[in-house]
Amino acid sequence: MSIRFDSVTVAYDGNVVLDALDLTVAPGEVMALLGPSGSGKTTALRAVAGFVRPASGRVLLGERDVTDLPPHRRGIGMVVQQYALFPHLRVEDNVAFGLKARKTPKAEIRRRVAEALEMTGMAAYARRHPRELSGGQQQRVAIARALAIRPAVLLLDEPLSALDARLRSGMLAELARLHRELPEVSILYVTHDQMEALTLADRIAVMDKARLQACGTPQELYRAPANAFTASFVGNANLLPVTVPARGAVLGDAELTLDTAGAAAGARATLCVRPHLVGLGEGPNRLTGTVREIQWRGATHRLYVDVAGHTVRADLPELREAPAHGERITVHFAPEDAVLLAAGVSGDEH
Amino acid sequence: MLVHSRGARWAVWAVFALLFLPLFALPLLVVLGASFATHWSGALPSGPTTANYRTVVRGEALHALTTSLLTAVAASVLALTVGTWAALAAAALGRGRRRVLDALFVLPVAVPSVVVGLSVLVAFSRPPLLLNGTRWIVILAHTVLVTAFAYQSVSAALARLDPAYEQAAASLGAGPAYVLWRVRLPLLLPSLTAAAGLCFALSMGELSATMMLYPPDWTPLPVLIYAATDRGALFTGSAVAVVLMAATLLVLFAVSRARTRASYR
Amino acid sequence: MNTEPALRAAPAHDAAGPAPEPGRTNRTAPGAAGAGPGPGSRAARRLLWALPPVALLALFFLHPLALVVRQSLQPDGGGTSLQPYTDVFASAAFREALWTTVWIALAATAGCLVLGFLLALVIAFVPFPGAKALARFVDVFLSFPSFLITLALLFLYGRTGMANGLWTQATGAAHGPFDFLTTPWGVLLAEVTYFTPFVMRPLLAAFAQLDTAQLEAAGSLGARAPHIVRRIILPEALPALAAGGSLVLVLCLNEFGIVLFTGAKGVTTLPMLVYGKAILESDYPGACAVAVVNVLISVGLYGLYRVVSRRAGA
Repeated sequence: MSIRFDSVTVAYDGNVVLDALDLTVAPGEVMALLGPSGSGKTTALRAVAGFVRPASGRVLLGERDVTDLPPHRRGIGMVVQQYALFPHLRVEDNVAFGLKARKTPKAEIRRRVAEALEMTGMAAYARRHPRELSGGQQQRVAIARALAIRPAVLLLDEPLSALDARLRSGMLAELARLHRELPEVSILYVTHDQMEALTLADRIAVMDKARLQACGTPQELYRAPANAFTASFVGNANLLPVTVPARGAVLGDAELTLDTAGAAAGARATLCVRPHLVGLGEGPNRLTGTVREIQWRGATHRLYVDVAGHTVRADLPELREAPAHGERITVHFAPEDAVLLAAGVSGDEH
Repeated sequence: MLVHSRGARWAVWAVFALLFLPLFALPLLVVLGASFATHWSGALPSGPTTANYRTVVRGEALHALTTSLLTAVAASVLALTVGTWAALAAAALGRGRRRVLDALFVLPVAVPSVVVGLSVLVAFSRPPLLLNGTRWIVILAHTVLVTAFAYQSVSAALARLDPAYEQAAASLGAGPAYVLWRVRLPLLLPSLTAAAGLCFALSMGELSATMMLYPPDWTPLPVLIYAATDRGALFTGSAVAVVLMAATLLVLFAVSRARTRASYR
Repeated sequence: MNTEPALRAAPAHDAAGPAPEPGRTNRTAPGAAGAGPGPGSRAARRLLWALPPVALLALFFLHPLALVVRQSLQPDGGGTSLQPYTDVFASAAFREALWTTVWIALAATAGCLVLGFLLALVIAFVPFPGAKALARFVDVFLSFPSFLITLALLFLYGRTGMANGLWTQATGAAHGPFDFLTTPWGVLLAEVTYFTPFVMRPLLAAFAQLDTAQLEAAGSLGARAPHIVRRIILPEALPALAAGGSLVLVLCLNEFGIVLFTGAKGVTTLPMLVYGKAILESDYPGACAVAVVNVLISVGLYGLYRVVSRRAGA
């Protein structure tokens, strides 16, 4: 079933926390809402679940306008950060909760609970209480509980953020598998972690400051970000202020060749190039500067190079002979690897 | 640790014991000791006897014990029902209206119990609700007095209750009544039993309002203790007081056992 | 009037919700899970649910209280007048009771604060084996009625009690020096004893919140214990002290059992006066007038307590 935000605005005490969101999640699609905390992504999810009421706009599930429908009539599966498993109920009763609330026949409940626990690999823990489970196991039970009601829409609110890094990548694969088994379920996945979004999502909606900043497939957002925020939030990016003469671009005294379509001649713009696409030595689009810092990261070296007062980061495959601190070096990038964005704030310095 | 030197620590503890023991431990021990004595004219009670307890277990005192227990149970159940209802209703209201309800329901804490007794006496000594002279007026006053505490306990527990639980339940398709019955009340159970214990203990020891209201055939333990000490029967009074403390403690202990079983976290 | 401070003294629990993101849980109305068709009818229905308990409260508490006020304006002679009040204010007994009530309450509160702070300080920061059990004993203490203390004091400091017994045995004197139980000092001692735990409970809760690393840091910097207490512990304890203190003040103003058991004709407080006028003299208008005065003082102070403790919880 599709999820549609039709110009949804949410405000608390006059503070707009979600500003006229327009977004559609196609049936069976995994959409990640990616953004820093306070960006409005959780508010958007809670508007779908029915826990916040939009000040204006509509939320549609399929063709049905659910804006005024209370949460328990929406038939949505939801998993939150802290799982919210009912501590007084055993795992099987947690999973059966939604079915019992709908007065499903007993035999059917037993079958569906077994199925959901099987699917999440928790069948062996049916008789346990939530407090007897580890974080990862609680997570699986929370997912089983949400799936047992066979929702057409699944909302996941930072579901992995309470897990440690190792468990997290395992659960990511698990979620991807679940979605392959239930291809008709639409998933709205709220996260602040770009890795989760890039791994799992069919499309990513990038949120910041209560607004939708960009929306597209992970590849689109990564290769051709629409703005500086998206570029820096989806993957790493060097964001360098340049001026655009008739052709190419100018950074300091370096003249660069790249596709300037869309940028007015003489305008200021932001050049975006991914650190791993920056190469060492001579090539097209040379930039010369001083090595300010060098970090060995196992498989790669990260260089911080001062070029005309700006820092260019380069992630290079592990170097046999790394340049020394303070050394003057030249780096380059291919014209097709760079994107010109509207002038804005320069990127973060990770 | 605040005090590091061994000597200073012992000195602090000595001062602590010197303050704590005579003020808090001794009074309870003294009442216990007196309950087994017939005289107290020296440093220690004398004339060991169990006669005081033998008077307690028959007639008047036994009747007073059942009176107190019945009153306390009735008042606790009523207060818990009304207090929980009010707290749940208040939690669903907006901030302004909730404040009003909060203020109304904790007012009986601030009003002197004697005045609560007086007001109940004034209001229910005439038709249409003529309760004066019956046990109901005592139970009613106790209920009014302890409802405030039930309300406060449940309100505080509700404020601590993570809304994620009820939201998870709602997202799974449970309506408000189902959520209340299957999620919120079970999660509140530890606090509810604690509140029940508190109400019970308060009612067991209530004297101020009771003194204004009790009919001759409904004399709770505190009144009996007062009557005994007032006529000089201090040792019998002590025995009744020990019975009162023991009954209260027993119920509190049972409640805390039930509470441990009811708490999941 | 027991564990109320414990409820007030647990702000930490309230704060320990799930990871807060603006608009995540806090700002949604708690009842958002139970929704009706429109916002207007939903609010109306919620108000309707609050009606039954409020009606009961009105019938059995507020209405009787209003009748007390009305009675206080209707002297036995008939009609409506302020006569009961002028009579009450004119009587020396009332003025003395008012003064006795207030000074005993103030002194008892001060005593409870000092004693409670010292005892809680030792339990929390100079712990000894059994300190935890002791804290639990304090809880138990709170669940006993106040008059038991007076009863115990009769055996401890009464004319033939333990203290005088020790004295006469030691000195051979005919009777001991302790004879203060039937004076206001006896009431004061009983109130300090009974109400000190009411100060200790919120204090112990506040101390449990205090970061011991702070104390250790101060200690490692060479600060001495009195300095640490004054500079670090006391400021942290102030809200709990204020909340506990104002509660104790109100409870002392309203205390009846302790005074009644003291049985002293010389010690009359406002609640005693209400009881005496109503039950012993059957002077209902007079009793009601005194009651109104007592209620005004107590409720005013209790309102202050609520404000203070809400601040402390914030």
